[in-house]
Amino acid sequence: MSELQHTVKGVDHVAYPTFDPAGTVKFYRDVLGFPVVHSICAAGWGPEKHPDFIHFFFDIGNDDRLAFFYYFGLEPFDGGPQGDSYSRFAEDVPIFFIRSRHLAIHVDSEDDLMEYRRRLDGSAWPVEMQIQHETIESIYTHDPNGYMIEITRALRPVTPQEDLDANLTIDALVDVVTGPDPSMDALLTRKAELITERAAAWQQQQESKEVATR
Amino acid sequence: MTTLFVLDVPENTAVAEVAGRDPAVTVDHVGPYFRIVSDSHIVIDRRATGCRHAVWYSSVAGLAQSRITQWDKDAMRIEPR
Repeated sequence: MSELQHTVKGVDHVAYPTFDPAGTVKFYRDVLGFPVVHSICAAGWGPEKHPDFIHFFFDIGNDDRLAFFYYFGLEPFDGGPQGDSYSRFAEDVPIFFIRSRHLAIHVDSEDDLMEYRRRLDGSAWPVEMQIQHETIESIYTHDPNGYMIEITRALRPVTPQEDLDANLTIDALVDVVTGPDPSMDALLTRKAELITERAAAWQQQQESKEVATR
Repeated sequence: MTTLFVLDVPENTAVAEVAGRDPAVTVDHVGPYFRIVSDSHIVIDRRATGCRHAVWYSSVAGLAQSRITQWDKDAMRIEPR
């Protein structure tokens, strides 16, 4: 496990290009109610053929922001019938691969999740899926640029043993993918070795921590 | 020896409990993990666990000298390697 100090403070902003700024504002500001908090009118500052661009930001809570670039006069690029304003993919690229890139925004409660579901369902971008995963529940849709967006809530807090499990998974994964034949079978076998090596000691450490804080 | 590890979190407790109903299976703990062991195979009925699919398909933490021969919406079957 890493011993490096962890001093970052969340997402300052994530930025995407848009060819549809009006739709983007409608979706994020008018449907979801995310305030516009910053915009930059860059006149003549951009690349030679598209010197003028707008960089605009929506507040997504927690002082984090979602930003877009709009370049006047820039036409969407070819590349295939699938994907979004950022990446176009050929027909034979599987949808699970395309959807693996998405932005998930956190809410604290079921009521909040359902409120965003109501806002989306009343718009031109209704919820496409609502799924309970292992310990989170999420709704999904695509914004006017084709970017997949998820809104998610925790069904319960993450426990310390899940942090241990995540670290064992990742250590096993790194071992397996740097070997000759990565597979789920190899990962689960390697992970069992790591569980046998480390899990009992971890448990003892947790218990002595609990005793110390009593 | 067939050995399956499952993390002991609330969503997974039924997986260990259902596995342990087989008298040939023993369940104990290694740290925060259930260790589910049998001399032969281990079969777990998904519906008997009541697990949602997302929980079911992420419930296996590790396999020692064992391999999964079935893991679908109906059941999980683990056999000695």
